[in-house]
Amino acid sequence: MISLPEPKAETLAKRDAIIAGLRRILPDSGVIADAARLKPYEMDGLTAYRRPPLAVALPETTEQLAAILRFLHQEDVRVIPRGAGTSLSGGALPLADGVVIGMMRMNRILEINYDDRFAVVQAGVTNLGITAAMQADGFFYAPDPSSQLACMIGGNVAMNSGGAHCLKYGVTANNLLGLKIVTMEGDILDIGGAHLDAAGYDWLGLLTGSEGQLAMVSEVTVRILRAAEGQRAMLAAFRSNEIAGACVDRIIGSGIIPVALEFMDRPAIHACEDFAHAGYPLDAEALLIIEVEGSVAEQDDLLGRIRAICDDFDPISCRVSQTAEESAAIWKGRKGAFGAVGRISPDYLCMDGTIPTGQLPLVLRRIGEMSEQYRLKVANIFHAGDGNLHPLIMFDANDPDSFHRAEAFGADILRLCVEVGGCLTGEHGVGVEKRDLMHHQFTATELDQQRAIKTAFDPGWLLNPAKVFPLVAA
Amino acid sequence: MQTHFSAEQLRDSDTAASNTVLRTCVHCGFCTATCPTFVLLGDELDSPRGRIYLIKEMLESGKPATEPVVRHVDRCLSCLSCMTTCPSGVNYMHLVDHARRYIEETYTRPWPERMLRGVLARVLPNPRLFRLALRAAALARPAAGLIPTGTVTGKRMQAMLSLAPTALPSDSPAQRPQVHQAQGVKRGRVALLTGCAQKVLAPRINDATIRLLTRLGIEVVIPPEVGCCGALTHHMGQHDPAMAAARAAIAGWTREIDGAGLDAIIINTSGCGTTVKDYGFMFRDAPEAAQAARVSGLAADISEYLVRIDYQPQRGAPGLTVAYHAACSLQHGQKVTGAPKALLKTAGFTVVEPRDPHLCCGSAGTYNILQPEIAGQLRSRKLANLQERRPDVIAAGNIGCITQLSGSDLPVMHTVELLDWMAGGPQPSGLAAGGS
Amino acid sequence: MAAAVADARAARRPLLVQGFGSKSAMLRPVQADATLSTRNLTGVTLYSPRELVIAARAGTPLDEIEALLHQNGQQLTSEPPDLSALLGSAGGQSWGGIVAANLSGPRRVAWGATRDHVIGIRAINGRGEVIRAGGRVLKNVTGLDLCKLIAGSHGTLGIMTDITMKILPAPAATGALILRGLDAVHGVAALSAGLGSPFGVSGAAFLPAWAADGIPGLGSQTVTVLRIEEFPASVAYRLEQLAGTLARFGKSEILDERTAKRVWTAIRDVTPIRPGAGEAVWHLSTRPSRGPTLLALIEAAGARGFMDWGGGRIWAAGPATPALHDAITHAVWDLGGTFTLMRAPDSLRASVPVVPQEAPPLAGLTRRIKAAMDPDGIFNPGRIYAGL
Ligand SMILES: Cc1cc2nc3c(=O)[nH]c(=O)nc-3n(C[C@H](O)[C@H](O)[C@H](O)COP(=O)(O)OP(=O)(O)OC[C@H]3O[C@@H](n4cnc5c(N)ncnc54)[C@H](O)[C@@H]3O)c2cc1C
Ligand SMILES: Cc1cc2nc3c(=O)[nH]c(=O)nc-3n(C[C@H](O)[C@H](O)[C@H](O)COP(=O)(O)OP(=O)(O)OC[C@H]3O[C@@H](n4cnc5c(N)ncnc54)[C@H](O)[C@@H]3O)c2cc1C
Ligand code: SF4
Ligand code: SF4
Repeated sequence: MISLPEPKAETLAKRDAIIAGLRRILPDSGVIADAARLKPYEMDGLTAYRRPPLAVALPETTEQLAAILRFLHQEDVRVIPRGAGTSLSGGALPLADGVVIGMMRMNRILEINYDDRFAVVQAGVTNLGITAAMQADGFFYAPDPSSQLACMIGGNVAMNSGGAHCLKYGVTANNLLGLKIVTMEGDILDIGGAHLDAAGYDWLGLLTGSEGQLAMVSEVTVRILRAAEGQRAMLAAFRSNEIAGACVDRIIGSGIIPVALEFMDRPAIHACEDFAHAGYPLDAEALLIIEVEGSVAEQDDLLGRIRAICDDFDPISCRVSQTAEESAAIWKGRKGAFGAVGRISPDYLCMDGTIPTGQLPLVLRRIGEMSEQYRLKVANIFHAGDGNLHPLIMFDANDPDSFHRAEAFGADILRLCVEVGGCLTGEHGVGVEKRDLMHHQFTATELDQQRAIKTAFDPGWLLNPAKVFPLVAA
Repeated sequence: MQTHFSAEQLRDSDTAASNTVLRTCVHCGFCTATCPTFVLLGDELDSPRGRIYLIKEMLESGKPATEPVVRHVDRCLSCLSCMTTCPSGVNYMHLVDHARRYIEETYTRPWPERMLRGVLARVLPNPRLFRLALRAAALARPAAGLIPTGTVTGKRMQAMLSLAPTALPSDSPAQRPQVHQAQGVKRGRVALLTGCAQKVLAPRINDATIRLLTRLGIEVVIPPEVGCCGALTHHMGQHDPAMAAARAAIAGWTREIDGAGLDAIIINTSGCGTTVKDYGFMFRDAPEAAQAARVSGLAADISEYLVRIDYQPQRGAPGLTVAYHAACSLQHGQKVTGAPKALLKTAGFTVVEPRDPHLCCGSAGTYNILQPEIAGQLRSRKLANLQERRPDVIAAGNIGCITQLSGSDLPVMHTVELLDWMAGGPQPSGLAAGGS
Repeated sequence: MAAAVADARAARRPLLVQGFGSKSAMLRPVQADATLSTRNLTGVTLYSPRELVIAARAGTPLDEIEALLHQNGQQLTSEPPDLSALLGSAGGQSWGGIVAANLSGPRRVAWGATRDHVIGIRAINGRGEVIRAGGRVLKNVTGLDLCKLIAGSHGTLGIMTDITMKILPAPAATGALILRGLDAVHGVAALSAGLGSPFGVSGAAFLPAWAADGIPGLGSQTVTVLRIEEFPASVAYRLEQLAGTLARFGKSEILDERTAKRVWTAIRDVTPIRPGAGEAVWHLSTRPSRGPTLLALIEAAGARGFMDWGGGRIWAAGPATPALHDAITHAVWDLGGTFTLMRAPDSLRASVPVVPQEAPPLAGLTRRIKAAMDPDGIFNPGRIYAGL
């Protein structure tokens, strides 16, 4: 179990004054303070940890956001930034003495510029909302976390989110041009802009993936891309996880970088098929979704090369999508995969370690063994091209013992990832979930160095405290 | 998701069913993005995930519902967009139906609201009362400006008046209980649910349905016992009246099924269709369980049935563009998405769809009366998205949407009216361009 | 190395951090007592072509790494330039140097900057402590991203001893399409149309007549040039499609592969600029559509330049005077963007801002970050900002 800091008594004591202060800045509907209505804000996508906040504030403008932060800074109150609350690491988990600042009302697209290939959006615009606004003109925003329908760009920046198509197009950090941020003191700062590579320190790079530790994001300037002429996905089904893993290795080694290269094992295939009816092969032990782009002839050529490689691994079947609807169904299944596991298990813990791809067969085998040892089922879904694993450990939250086993199982997987040369988290962030595992990846000195950077931005440690860094005894 | 019900609580069948629903939700948040109220209001509490959580807490507590919870559950349109989105298969419909009933049973609303809801629940499902009320409303309409809009009740009164048509169509004898013989070779026999409010507001829809089906060789029976299907009261959480109406309908149809037999129970008001298709669940613990399940199994939206019997047009293509508005109850509630568009195309129309087709128009049964502000915003949004596609006419499969979207420059009609026209029926009034 | 830093810190002796030191005359002059070079930290420590990663010590010559990758059909995605011609130095550059300066070539516009591909570093901070950030896997969001912070910080926050980068297969073929004689505005419009096309343009530059003239084979009119890197059949197909997309800008020509590669190497290495002895060199970045205006403004002030990155990057040279520097930086300020003074005599670079001054709250953060990494200010004092 992860421990959370004691609420500050001073803060709890002046609860009413804090709420009154927030009400002076925001309209009534923008401040939530009654117990019943705070409950639904008590957690994000990691349901194992819950804690109702002191209040929720829902700003509609950057100025309101700055005023709220300035006020809370003055009052020495902790703040928990929140986007759509889809974090799987408890990044948006509240604290009893903290004010959740929800960004979902800041959901406007401010500018789309095709000539200079950027868009300026408020932090509460959903990831898919950006692409939806420009799709008709052939453009898109590349990073595509599976949660892209719901998760917000501010949350994506905070988590440096990745997705299936990041193998080719990079993660959030690689697709940003600028940010408008608000510091804990309430200063509004512009970072970068519509141009590339600002001089000075790389604020953009440092803030991206900082999990709400350094500042709040209010606007984001994203790089947008023209979509390729077309794309098609191939479903290649194999007899074992190891064989599919070896096939991935060979594809990458051959000099082909597909736009996406995704892996699912048997339980995942079945859950997703049940949801999306995409025609996933139910007889397979492991499935690769391989997508290529370009003109029809280019797609054919690439798929031909990939098919030839797959054929060396005795596939059960290889099927290429024939229509846009079919491709959409294939991706709907993959993107709904975590949720779809809800069909076969009431609860899951989603791991997110990354490993060197060469270690895939070993790690998959070890996860299988641990699954037996802990008596918990696991479904494997992951971004195979870059070694980012998502083992979903299935448990039953109404059975505390199964939850404890799930947590121990998860920690074992992550330690294994670090041992083989990988890391604790590839895209979901440390949050509260992996906080206490950080010392497996970093030395005390390294953690102190990171803490010093946090202190430089937020000397009072008011922004999203108790996340990312293991707590130090006060 | 973890729940905290006692064994005692779980012995209640409704609570047990809700527990199953709650346990299926993994709190992923996907549904928030496609929920009309979350998109408009930007608050977790007005999202499906937030409502699910509020309902969970309410049911677990076993205590009477409280105002904050009621407020957010009331704002739910029951459009079921969240169910289409949910990868985990959470049956939000059953959960919110249970919550509405729980609220109705444990919460005392302020009296003006209680009155209004009481009136709506009594009047709307009763065609005779409803017709009277609409006459009165037509008389009252000039006075609408006098109603103060500062209060919720005032706004609701205004909303009600603005929805009432200026001229009430006269009743159509065709929709009274009877058997309409098939023309030519008889290919099938169906029952038609003629509905309650629709019957009064737009008898032309039932007329067109009956004309079209009989022309296609289908015998259409309207059993006398079947009035309102119970959907309206069901969505207001009024369990007993809803069950009574449904029970009567089940009895009527069962008599026909056991008698001359039915190939389908045709529903041309998709809001009702969703409920009739759920009778099996609603009556799962009742003596009528088997009959109810059989009725649900036979229920079909008119568009589903027309595809089944291979609808074909008789006239040449009219050269008109139809913007198809997918009623929530049809697209999310019944998952009927392709059939209406395919039929309209077969009939010779150019079919276009608005941006964000998954978002509700704000009609949602009595919602546009009870939540006029949100409903009004959703209506404007939907109309703008429809107009953007420059259609000649809007088609929808639900009387609620048709009423809600009427009043702009664009004519709004039921899909079946257009299909009937192309198959030899009269040209629907209000259409600018002429057919061939 | 860590011990040397600790000693310097104890003695409060500032250090000039250097790779091969070939370019220590850029940005602001550093007032240091001693030079710490990574020259002896050499060697590739990990190369796994199938996992698309390479790691090497900071002092490894870049040439050596590029040769190794080339043998395996791979490349550094961000195409770091060789600026020896521009900066008047010789002796190659170090692996740490290109990362410390976040130096990227034309491909940056499509595939990201050098620091976008840095996935792990090992560095020594100002306390003489060894700090690792990132790792050797392609996706990693564990903890704050110190890789990005240190990369591009010109050795002011830490000395990198090891760097791991993500690499990609080298394209099987390179093709280029040119349009001659367009003015800058139409040239950039054509580049935008190309970059906004579905054909995966990986380089987009505009060369004024004098610059084109400096690259053998291009002739003496302005040249608007776009690059495609793909499998050979795709290169042919896409160039043809691109020619169609750009037809409204005039008739295009397709260069043979040898010429195409030569042209793009010249653009990458900024060879057309050929700065004279008394001249300064600036690197400017703005939004692409404003490139032509910026170019016109600096030309009016007495500088010359050409555009890369679809119009978003201008390499400029001109007399090393405060007046010209002022004119250029003001133009950048007005249009929105950033500048780096790449080369100038000490007198100029010690007296003017060599990169844009940050707004006060941001400048405060810069000082706090510097203090967090290098509390006693022993690394490259004054390199980027005066007094820091
Ligand atoms: C089913 C499912 C699938 C997922 N798939 C992926 C995937 O493929 N790839 C991936 O990378 N992630 C994935 N995630 C994780 C999650 O969606 C991402 O981390 C996402 O970026 C979170 O965005 P959000 O808007 O929900 O943010 P939240 O969950 O609300 O917050 C996430 C973190 O960001 C901070 N934050 C939010 N907004 C701001 C802001 N404006 N300023 C500063 N800090 C802020 C919060 O404090 C918190 O620490 C998935 C999650 C789910 C439930
Ligand atoms: C936009 C842009 C800006 C540039 N700015 C500069 C500049 O400010 N200064 C400059 O010299 N060149 C600059 N260049 C050129 C570039 O730095 C050199 O071409 C390249 O660094 C040569 O490598 P070197 O080994 O000679 O590096 P050096 O000239 O030895 O070092 C370059 C810079 O990196 C630092 N550095 C070198 N190795 C390490 C290390 N291991 N850890 C930490 N820091 C290290 C140095 O302190 C120095 O600030 C710039 C280029 C571009 C495109
Ligand atoms: S039914 Fe509609 S309004 Fe209600 S929660 Fe679901 S999506 Fe939202
Ligand atoms: S999409 Fe389904 S599983 Fe996810 S939060 Fe909504 S109801 Fe729950």
